[in-house]
Amino acid sequence: MKLRRITAVASAGALAVSSFVLLAGGASSAATTSITFAYDFPGPDFELTPVVVAQDLGYFKAAGLHVNVSFPPDTSSTTKLLTTNSAQIGFLTTTDMGVAVNAGAPVLSVANYSMRNNWALFAKPGTKLTPGNLTAALKGKRIFSYGDTWTESMLPFVLRYAKLKPSQVKIVTAPTGNDLTDLLAGKVDISTSTTNYEIPGFQGSGTKGTEVQLLGTKVGAPDIPVWVYAVTRSYAAGHGKTVKAFLSAVKRATVWAAANPVKAAADFSKAYPKSGYTNAYNLEGWKLTIPFLTNAQHQYFTQTTAQWTTLAKALKSIHLINAVPAPTTYFTNKFLP
Amino acid sequence: MSTRETTTPRRAGRAGTDSVARKLARNVGVPVLSIVLLFALWQGIVVYFHVAPYIAPRPRQAVLAVTQNWSTLWPLVLGTIRETVYGFIVGAALGIGLGVIMAKVPFLQRLVYPVLVLSQAVPIIALAAPLVLILGFSVTPKVVIVAWIVFFPVTVNVLDGLSHVDQDLMNLARVYGAPRWRTFFQIEIPATATPLFSGLKIGATYAVTGAIIGELAASDGSSLALYQEHANTNLNTAAVYGTTMLMTVIGISWFLLVVGAEVFATPWQRRTVARRRWRRADRSDEEPAR
Repeated sequence: MKLRRITAVASAGALAVSSFVLLAGGASSAATTSITFAYDFPGPDFELTPVVVAQDLGYFKAAGLHVNVSFPPDTSSTTKLLTTNSAQIGFLTTTDMGVAVNAGAPVLSVANYSMRNNWALFAKPGTKLTPGNLTAALKGKRIFSYGDTWTESMLPFVLRYAKLKPSQVKIVTAPTGNDLTDLLAGKVDISTSTTNYEIPGFQGSGTKGTEVQLLGTKVGAPDIPVWVYAVTRSYAAGHGKTVKAFLSAVKRATVWAAANPVKAAADFSKAYPKSGYTNAYNLEGWKLTIPFLTNAQHQYFTQTTAQWTTLAKALKSIHLINAVPAPTTYFTNKFLP
Repeated sequence: MSTRETTTPRRAGRAGTDSVARKLARNVGVPVLSIVLLFALWQGIVVYFHVAPYIAPRPRQAVLAVTQNWSTLWPLVLGTIRETVYGFIVGAALGIGLGVIMAKVPFLQRLVYPVLVLSQAVPIIALAAPLVLILGFSVTPKVVIVAWIVFFPVTVNVLDGLSHVDQDLMNLARVYGAPRWRTFFQIEIPATATPLFSGLKIGATYAVTGAIIGELAASDGSSLALYQEHANTNLNTAAVYGTTMLMTVIGISWFLLVVGAEVFATPWQRRTVARRRWRRADRSDEEPAR
């Protein structure tokens, strides 16, 4: 009898505890919004550092978010992941935004990731590559391109500055290749990339000397932000609070990661140990990214009408888009923290 | 003359016409119908689910993306065909040669066979970039990739064919004092034809894939794969689907060409006796009337 009573009391207690746990868990999951963030590249690299830090330091959790990171099958699919709702927030280049809006994709940039254009031409150490000798340096030479919209958009400006026609250079397109490897192997004369990816790669290659670089903005390329955070218009309309919460958490993480690059790079390396990159590469890459994250007023994320107008006009001038839409077609700052 | 033979001519006329119509319906009509159904299904899904054109186009948009840009696409198609054909010929020649040598020299077979298997275990995509570094951006790395894909099934099938030649025939030839070369060309090679063409058909199916992988690894100038890549980056999905259809057509055409060559080269597979016009004037070797 006594045993039966003890069993009954224990069962009731267990039931009460499990009900409380279930209810608490339910309440907790109801308060947390789960979203998917789609990166712009098929694998993780150091530009993902703010998102990794926001996860690691609990900024997303504090903002009531559970963020899954997904990687597109190729560098052109992030827009499609957004528009099919496979991801809610994406990381895109501004030129990708340009062609996406031109194709009728209802995407909207909600914040700049970087503020300026750090795309550049690179050559082997000892090569003369300056604005003054650009024509001679490029004429008849093999120029590497990944075939992405950014390179395809920037190269015509450089060629125009050098007074060269596309037929006067040999553009080698290798979507699955590596520009630095081809440059160092002598298969191309000039490679193209952004400084934050190219320079750490060169340093890690063990090649003597300094890789010669010429920023695109010094030879005709427009000085516009390269990467942005984007959502679909319908998601922005229906989930404004979530977008704002995401940007708020990412901004906290970006500020922290910019102030603590060593710890931030270590965080990234720990989160993605199989990314294929060394911690030294991640650290150097992130350090080179930091100066481009803020504008002249030291602001993060803020977009301007001028940047989108410049971009649209640039894309129109090289026939990548049909018309120059109103800048508001591309962006909004209303979700900025 | 047998009873069957006397009744055959009367029925042959109608039966012959019927069989031609049926054959046409079976061999051409059914595949065409399956393609039409596939297109109808595609159209139905895109329309029913209101799929945006930058996610998936309608079949008509994909076809238009090809026809309206045909002047741009045609040289690229020719380029891909050239890479496919060159690579296929090199791969097939290498495969046949290696198969014969390995069949004749057992030690070499034991030595080389593991390497051949190893070569096919290497992911071709991983191989493409190093090949470009070694061979440059010209047509050569694409030809090497296609040949790499084609030679293995050809080698294995030739080897298989040569190791299963009818030994009674070989002994008979030996008894009649046939020289080795004649035995090889008149008994062994014909006996290998069927497995050889099986290998060639497998190679033909994958050859275009090899050419496209090679084009994606790197191209100086333009190529069909890069055209598709650019269309993809510009969200021109109709052109992506259109070029995919083109690549498929190239692959199927190449496969059918090899099938045609097989039909021509191995007539004994379809007829047990030679066509009347091919028979010698001396009728003594004709089938005796039953």
